[in-house]
Amino acid sequence: MQFFKTKKGRWWTWVLAILVGGLLVWGTQHDAAIYSDPIMQVTSVETGAATKETDDFHNVDRQTKQTLHGKILNGTYKGQRLTVTNTYSQSGAMDQRYHVGSQLFVVVHAHSATRLTASAKDVKRDAPLVFMIWLVVGLLLLIMQFSGFMAFLSVAANGVLFLMAILLNGSTQGAQVLWIFGSLSVVFATLTLWLVLGANRQMLITLATTLGGTALALVTALLVFHFTHEKGMYYESMQYVTQLPRPLFLAETLLGSLGAVMDESTDIISSLFALKRERPELSATQIFKSGRQIGSTIMGPLINVLFFIFVADTFPMAMLYLKNGNSWGYTFSMNMSMGVVQSLISGIGIVLAVPLASFLASRFMAKKVTA
Amino acid sequence: MSTISVLGLVLLLLMVLVGGKAGAQSFLALILNFGLLYLAIVLVAFQFSPLIVTLVVGMLVLALTIFMSSGDDLSSTVAFIASAVVLVMLIILIVPVEHWALVQGFGPEDSEDLEGLSVLVGVNFVQVTTATAILSTLGAIAEAAMAIAAGLSEILEQHPQVALKALLGDGIAVGKQIIGTTFNTLFFGFFGGFLALFIWFTGVHYSVGEILNDKIFVSEILMILFAMVSVILTVPITTWVMTRAVAGQRKRVAKDTSK
Repeated sequence: MQFFKTKKGRWWTWVLAILVGGLLVWGTQHDAAIYSDPIMQVTSVETGAATKETDDFHNVDRQTKQTLHGKILNGTYKGQRLTVTNTYSQSGAMDQRYHVGSQLFVVVHAHSATRLTASAKDVKRDAPLVFMIWLVVGLLLLIMQFSGFMAFLSVAANGVLFLMAILLNGSTQGAQVLWIFGSLSVVFATLTLWLVLGANRQMLITLATTLGGTALALVTALLVFHFTHEKGMYYESMQYVTQLPRPLFLAETLLGSLGAVMDESTDIISSLFALKRERPELSATQIFKSGRQIGSTIMGPLINVLFFIFVADTFPMAMLYLKNGNSWGYTFSMNMSMGVVQSLISGIGIVLAVPLASFLASRFMAKKVTA
Repeated sequence: MSTISVLGLVLLLLMVLVGGKAGAQSFLALILNFGLLYLAIVLVAFQFSPLIVTLVVGMLVLALTIFMSSGDDLSSTVAFIASAVVLVMLIILIVPVEHWALVQGFGPEDSEDLEGLSVLVGVNFVQVTTATAILSTLGAIAEAAMAIAAGLSEILEQHPQVALKALLGDGIAVGKQIIGTTFNTLFFGFFGGFLALFIWFTGVHYSVGEILNDKIFVSEILMILFAMVSVILTVPITTWVMTRAVAGQRKRVAKDTSK
């Protein structure tokens, strides 16, 4: 271990990390054998002439047809040469242009033993995905070392739990979505805080704040929903919905705000514990005041984090609405209103957690902090 | 009154009760950020280049978020410069990866929402998706840069003569404290947004191979990963900018005293 702390050692770790990354990306570009769907690698491309298209809203675009020759990399038809055609547009919202070397999933139609035709389905995307995962894990370990590893571990553990919850939700046909993700939030928060803080009084206070803040935000939201009759909320504008949208929306909001509230309460409470350690003479009221002060400086930026995550995602669809002659107001309602409601509810949770964290920390902190 | 305005009023009220003037200021920053985001969409719809719009709007959002929250001058300036550097680096990373992954625009899962809409609108969707990925990480970059800068400026306040080399180590130490919880904010924030999509995948019985190459799935996961990379990069960059700023300050002080 000592070796990695020397200058030469550190240099070698970076070289090693880059080598591993290169190997991983090269590997995923040659992993066609593990797929059951046929994959074709493009060896030559013929490009046709572009045609100009104008839609009802005077948007001008160009469409080009390309003929792709290539060979199948895996499965029953391995080594067979095939030709597929593909049409791409200049904007590329639903299509893409392929180049020599592109790997694509194709559907092969066997007309007889010798005559095969195929159509392109989609491009293979696992290599960029692996590259980015490698980049995150590599940077995390190289810059943050052990803390980075723990951060990665908690995200991975939460990812596994999340997957299990989704499978459970599927097996109950989505009827219990709010209960599943509600109880999952408790498990998520407990596990994460235990990994970050260890099992101690500080962790218990943080956990209580996190759950309390998130629950209070949801209750506030439900009260507001009740009194405003959910006016201006367009559940039908939610994307990819396959089950009852309202409980799903609440579950999404619950999960979304949980992480930020947890982040904030960890920050406030650990600062307060450090403060008490340095100046044990501080009274509960003084601790409460400092907590409120720390909290009010971090709540704004945190609400911003969630706001951009929830609302920026709607950019492509909102732009398409505008391009299709819809008004600004209608575009907002149909694309962004649900994200804004989500951000506001999370914001309420983040703000409520400030007094809650300060209160709980000032009351239940041991008289003398030793840890 | 609509639900959004009542929720907004509740949030404003709570922010003022808890944070006083600083709370009201943060609320205003939030509203202005929404205005900027919407402006970006409108500008792109008017055929402005998505990347340039994102760069300009991104810088404005960072400035607004950082300078409108309470912090001392040194840490705000450092946080802003560092986050601007991270934003530029992020663009350099995202543009080639988005071209490589071809995750622009919409996937087959969106066809229901796209019914009746023309998708041939002449706007480069690779750039639009790149812009989306960059915009969604802006909040996280600003937050991380502010946290590191504030932590370092506190250390500087307590030990004004700390050696620059030690300050570099301190920056990473502050980063280690926040990285775990920041990652969780990102994880839950994004997964909260994608819950419906993941339920879709299990409901429609996609194979693992299909999910890992699905346009929408890859696009969403890449967004989380870009956000994580930017937060990790923010730690050393903010620390570095802080040491530069402190070195400059000390040089000026040394010059003044030697006169």
